[in-house]
This record gives sequence, C-alpha cells and structure tokens, in this order.
Amino acid sequence: MGSLCNTYFENENVSLKDYYSENIYTWCTNCGNYGIAAATKRALVAENIVPKDTFMCFDIGCNGNGSDKIGGYRLHGLHGRVIPVATGAALANRKMTVIASGGDGATLSEGIGHLVHAIRSNYNITFLMHNNCNYGLTTGQASASTRPGIPMNSSPDGTTADTMNFMNFVLSLGASFAARTFSGNVDQMTEVIRAGIRHIGFSVVEILQNCPTYNKDTTHEWYQNRVYDTIELNDFDNTNLDSALNISKDMSERIATGILYVNPNSVPFDQRLENRKGYTTELVDEVKSYNNVSQELFSRFV
Amino acid sequence: MNPSEIKRFSIKFGGESGQGINSLGEILAKALKNSGYKIFGYREYPSLIRGGYASYQIDIANDSINSSSQFCDILVCSSRRSVYQYLRDLRPHGLLIHTLTAVSFKPEEQEFIKLNNIRVKYIDALTLAKEQGGNALMSNMILLGALSEIVGLDLAAVEHIVSEQFADKPKLLEIDLKCLKVGHELNIADYPLTYIKHEGWHESKIITGNHAIALGAISAGARAYYSYPMTPASSILTYLAETSHESGMLVKQAEDEITAAQMTLGSMHMGTRAFTGTSGGGFDLMTETISLAGIIETPIVLVLAQRPGPATGLPTWTSAGDLNLAIHAGHGEFPRIVLSASDFESAYSLIQHAFDLAEKFQTAVVLLTEKQIAEGLYNVKDLPQDLEINRYLLTDNGQTEKAGLRRYEFTEDGISPRWLPGSDLPQYNANGDEHDEIGDVNEEALNAKLIAKKRMKKIELIKQTFPEPILYGDNDVDITFVGWGSVKPVVNDIRNLLSQNNSDLKINYLHYDYLFPLKTEKLLEILKTAERPVLIENNYLGQLGHLITAETGFKFNEKLLKYDGRPFFIEDILNFINSSTNG
Repeated sequence: MGSLCNTYFENENVSLKDYYSENIYTWCTNCGNYGIAAATKRALVAENIVPKDTFMCFDIGCNGNGSDKIGGYRLHGLHGRVIPVATGAALANRKMTVIASGGDGATLSEGIGHLVHAIRSNYNITFLMHNNCNYGLTTGQASASTRPGIPMNSSPDGTTADTMNFMNFVLSLGASFAARTFSGNVDQMTEVIRAGIRHIGFSVVEILQNCPTYNKDTTHEWYQNRVYDTIELNDFDNTNLDSALNISKDMSERIATGILYVNPNSVPFDQRLENRKGYTTELVDEVKSYNNVSQELFSRFV
Repeated sequence: MNPSEIKRFSIKFGGESGQGINSLGEILAKALKNSGYKIFGYREYPSLIRGGYASYQIDIANDSINSSSQFCDILVCSSRRSVYQYLRDLRPHGLLIHTLTAVSFKPEEQEFIKLNNIRVKYIDALTLAKEQGGNALMSNMILLGALSEIVGLDLAAVEHIVSEQFADKPKLLEIDLKCLKVGHELNIADYPLTYIKHEGWHESKIITGNHAIALGAISAGARAYYSYPMTPASSILTYLAETSHESGMLVKQAEDEITAAQMTLGSMHMGTRAFTGTSGGGFDLMTETISLAGIIETPIVLVLAQRPGPATGLPTWTSAGDLNLAIHAGHGEFPRIVLSASDFESAYSLIQHAFDLAEKFQTAVVLLTEKQIAEGLYNVKDLPQDLEINRYLLTDNGQTEKAGLRRYEFTEDGISPRWLPGSDLPQYNANGDEHDEIGDVNEEALNAKLIAKKRMKKIELIKQTFPEPILYGDNDVDITFVGWGSVKPVVNDIRNLLSQNNSDLKINYLHYDYLFPLKTEKLLEILKTAERPVLIENNYLGQLGHLITAETGFKFNEKLLKYDGRPFFIEDILNFINSSTNG
C-alpha cells in the first residue's frame, strides 16, 4: 500500500470530478473528515463505481454534514440509525454500492444494537465508523471511546464509564470484515475502503480520526506516533480471528491498522435467505411481479 | 328490540390456555361453515402460555355476520375457572357442558343456573378418551362429537376437518375419529340449529384480519416485511414468513421496532414496496422514523395493531385507543395519512391503498387495526378486487431529460417529482436536515418557510383525494352512530337485526376508514339533520370525537364508549339503544 494509483482519479467509467460537489465544506480546519471524504471518493473511482450506482447513508454528527458535499445518491438520516436504513436500502437493490457512515457517538450509544445485529446478519454494506472519541457536533461530550481522565464537555472530571475498544468489540462478534485505518493516512484509508466495498458481507472500517477542536487527547500527532500497518508484519494472518482480536487490543502504545480480519467464507444475509434462492431480480424490480400469489394462498384456507 | 329476540346462535368453548380450546373452536367453526352456515369467530385469551382462561366463540346467523354476541346458547367448559368466568354469559335455557369430575357450584352460580333454566351436563371426556386409547387433549374430540350431535351437525363434516388437520399423524387420527364417534353417541341434549344453510358456502374461508393485511400487501407488491413480534400484529409476521417461499417476499424479524421501521424506510427509499407492523408500544419506537419520512418525503407504510395500553396494558385484548398516537406520532410538522381497517375486506383493500397513498403523496401512512380485527375469524368467500399498482415515479414514462430536475421542487400542489436511486436522472440527497430543492442543507429563513409550505400543501390535496366517510343505512333515522374501526360490523349487524325484526326504531351509521386528515363535509351535512348523533368508539376519550370537534367545533352530546379490553358485542349496542329510547 502507499503507492499512488492512477485509478484513484480517473477510471474507465468514472473520474474523481464525477463525485465533486460545489458545496463548501463546513468542517473545522484540520478535521479528519477531509481525508475521509477524499479517500471515499478515491475508493469509489478506483472501484470504477459511477455516482448513480452509489448510495451513501449518513448518520447524525460531523460525518453527516458531509452528506451534501459529495456526489451519488445519498440519505442523511437519524442519530444512531444509519445501519438499518442503509441495510434496508441495500437489500432492496443489491446492484447499488451502499456505504454507511456514522461516528463513535451514534454507533457506540444509540446505534450499538444495530451494529451488533448487522454483524450477525452480515448485510452486504460497508460501514465507515468515524471514531474521533467524542461527540464533535454537540461540542465535545465524552463518547464510549473517550479515554478515562480526560475532562470533556459535561464530564469535567473525566468520563465515569470505562472506554470501549471498538475494533475489539466488532471482532468479538465475528464480523466478516474488520479494518482499522487513520484519517491522516489517505492512501491506506482508500485501499481499506476499496477492500470493504469489494468484500461480500458487512464490512466494518474503523477510522481513527482526529478532532482538532474538541479532542485534545488523541490528536493527529498522537495517532501518527502510534499507528502501524499490519501489512508490514511478517507473521500476521488476517484470516485468523484470534490474531485479529489480539492485535486489536492495544489502543495506547502501538495501534494496529490495515485489514485486521477477513472471513474468506463470508455468506451475506441475502444469500442466507432460502426463499430467495434462484431469484435473479432485485426487490425493486418485483413490485408488479408476484401480485397474483394472494389468490393461490387464499384458496388454501379452509 | 329486546336482546332475547336476536336471531343468532352462539357456542362458546372455555378452558385454560394450553387445553386446545383454539383448535376445538376452529374445527367446529370450519365444520359449521362447510355445512353451509354463516359464522363469525371470536377468541379471548390471556397473555400467558399455560393456565388462566381462554375462550373461542362461534356465532351463527342467517346472514353474513362480522360481530360477536356477549352471550351464548351453549357453553362447553374444560376448566373450573372458565365455568366461573363464562357461566353468566349463558342465555336463558342455555346448555352448560363441562368435564369437571367433582364440581360444586357456588350458591350464586346455582342461583343463576336455576333462575335462567340452564341445563348442566357433565361429560367424563377424559375417561371416554382414554378408553379409546387417547389422552387429555383428545377429550376435546369427545366434546366435538357430542356437540355435533346436539346441534344436529352431520358428524361427517367434523370428521372431514379433523382428518385434514391430523392427516400427518395417522395413528392419532384413528383415535381422534373413534373419540368423535363415542362423543356423538352420547346423545345428551338437543339444540338443533334452525339457521339457513347457504348453497356453495363450503367454498368460503375462515380467515383472520391479519391474513387480510398480509394477503393484501402481497397483492400490493410488497416485497419486504420487517417486524418485531408484538401481539396483535405478530401473526402478520408469522404468516408472511410461512408463505415466503410462495411469495418470494423478504421477511425479516428485526432486532427491534426502530430497526424494522428504518429498514422499511430504506427499502421503500430504494424503490421497492416494504412495510412494517407492530402494536402501540413498538409503534412508539417507530415515531422518529415517521418524522424522517416526513422530511425526506419517502413513502412508508406502518400497520399499527391496537391493544389496550398504556405500557404493556392488556396485551391480548382489544382497543381502538391509538388514533391519537397515529395522528400525532413523530416530532415536527409534516403531512401524514391515517387509515383504519374495520373488517376483513377493508383490511385487504386498505393496505393496498396505504401503499398507493404513501407513494402518491410521498409520506407516511399508518394503517390502524385492532386485536378484534387482527385475530377475528371472518367467514368470507372471495378476496376483494385489487387496486391497480401505480408508482407515481418520474421515470414511469421513461423520462431521461435531466435539466432542471429538482427532487424537492417547490411545486404548485406540494408534490415534487420522485425518482429512485440507481436512476440516470440527477442524484440527490434525501436530507433529514432541512434542505433546499435539491436536498442540500439550507438553514435560511426563506427556504425553511417555502419547503415547509410545500410539504404541508399536500394535506389539502390528500383531503381532496380521500373518499368521504360511508353512510350505512337510510337518511331519516332515530339514531346516527359515528365511528371507526371494528365498531362498523357490530353496528351494521344491529342495523340488519333491527330491520329483520321490523323494529320501529331505525339507526344509521357513518363510518370513517380514512381518518386523517379528516374529511368533514359529509359528516356536517348529516349532523345538520341527524335526530340523535351518537359517537361510538372502543376507547375512553372518544378520540375521533375530539378530532371532529377540533376540525368542526361540533361536540357529541351522546357517546357510547367501551374501554375494558373487549370489543363491542351486539348486546352493548342494543342495550344502549333500548335504555336510551325507553328512558
């Protein structure tokens, strides 16, 4: 990873400008979101996915304020609910590339049930978890990933609950694809998102993101000094769940990034549905196709 | 008209949950129907798996009926508790059959039995069943056999249903049939049915309101159902899952109601037809999604199957107490549509209209139903006519011109052009933040005003599209009932009974299927000349009454409200009419 790939900018069917929006970004200077937005666009172009085939869903938070700064079909929904709305959409039309974005505030609190069950169900979407370890848009409250002892808005003496390790949690549930990346490394982020899009199943991408305004603890520099890419390790097998669980634990000294785990035998939700086996059409195509079934079903009643 | 003049025959089975009361009732209902009788079935049961008291009542009449009587002519009890619970529901000269070896009636029970000339018959069903090699559950077959003899029902009709039901268990079936025969030979009483047998009626079906919603949704092209189990909506989920191999529908039991609503919205947004169903408590969790649907103008259909609240309330009983919830659910101001089923036919049709209206007006549609409808056992011959499917999409006519297209265009009537993700037309942002015509976030005062106005304009258009409430009966009558939901078939059954009895007293009934936004023109016209308008609702507040008052200023002086978890029985309405006209 690391070498700039031409297809980041220009591909057979699509180029970066197709995802361009003339709206002006409203994020803080040096926000990690700039890198994430750039990497997302590059990944889509590199995968040769045109905007009309892209459906991006945004949670509430600073990530969501990017919903109108990028091309493609988009939905900017409710706090914590990005996963179910995105999966409902993805199931209706599997030809679309569906990417859901949400922050640590929404995902680890109101949305945590959705995350758990989406991993179990292995819906075929890519989930970008913007982890900046605080509630940015509501001006800096502690989230479940805020570290102990850090004074935050509404918890001046530091948070009173223990810190969650998101990646370790996701892996403990057996996610079929789990990657961690850093908003300061756009190339790695691009490649990880590409792999997430290609993976058939629920792809979780944790993006360690600096928040220049409210998170003075885990800053850009803080991460820069700690992250390493697991691709550089000689003996790391990212199809081994135990190794991934192990390597994901350290969030303070040496922080592992890259694709930490891929289940090579991933079976996505739609392929688990016995009653849909053999269907080549999408739910969006079928609204006028099975209406006469009721008559037959009715006739079976006594 | 006196309740004793009601031309109906009612048989009630009572027992504990787990005693097979339900299948007992079902078999007899089907056998009666196959013999040409028109019936209606009503189930009561507690929110537990074993114990308590449960019942299954079958009403028989000459014409089609869609309501229950409070009272019965034959009561068959398999538990002491059910005798205690239901004895007083027996009509004078009624028959109590029980299977209790050593029952001692309380003094007040003895008095009731004596005063009303109740005949009491004991059947040692368990011993008889055991003699045939059967078990406790098979004592039900003894009772069924005995009952068919009592009402003069051909045993073959019962045997036919039992044989079909237990075809996969031939050894047990053999014992079942023996038990039926033994019961039939008991010859303990005679209550022969004197009702009209209808030609070809064996072709009719016994089917619940939830089946109507499920089948109607399939006909409407619903391709996904997301739901979380909650009585009385659960059987929609069960049935759609059971038939998913035939329908190809994606049926998903979600992890909670929030998920169910969000997945539904996501699927609808992408462009298929999907829906969700729940009861009041689950619907509470869906309200934020309704609000989101309001601002992003994505159609969504939600079935709200009512039971009495607040909180867990009476989980297995009936109510129409969530009209206020449906019309107020979700924060902010946005147009929404509330419909209400009232019987099998309306449930089947209205779910189709719900999809049509949701897509036409790009907003949330709530279809209300009640436990009484959801689990009521209707006797119907055919499915109603299907509604033609229209999607109201810009791309329906093959539009490819992209210039000037704005998904949230400020149009004259408030309805903006809609096209689906994946289309070649311009991509847009369905933005839950306030936005401009193309979906980009916009917090300017002028834009906020214009887009709110655009959305709210749809309310007037929805009203214009809605049909007026339906008036059942003649214009010039003594009492005009106004109501919604499951009261319709009860009032209409009363209307028929009154005219069959050539009663001097005449009633009509103004019924709302399309509840919100409320149409009031026809209502006001009828109220102008109505002798005695009476609001009838299955709730405490008279929620439709409040809505009518809010819209028109009209206040009902008379209200017939019931809020004890039970549906309106025909006696409730007859007693109301009698007490108010006599006194």
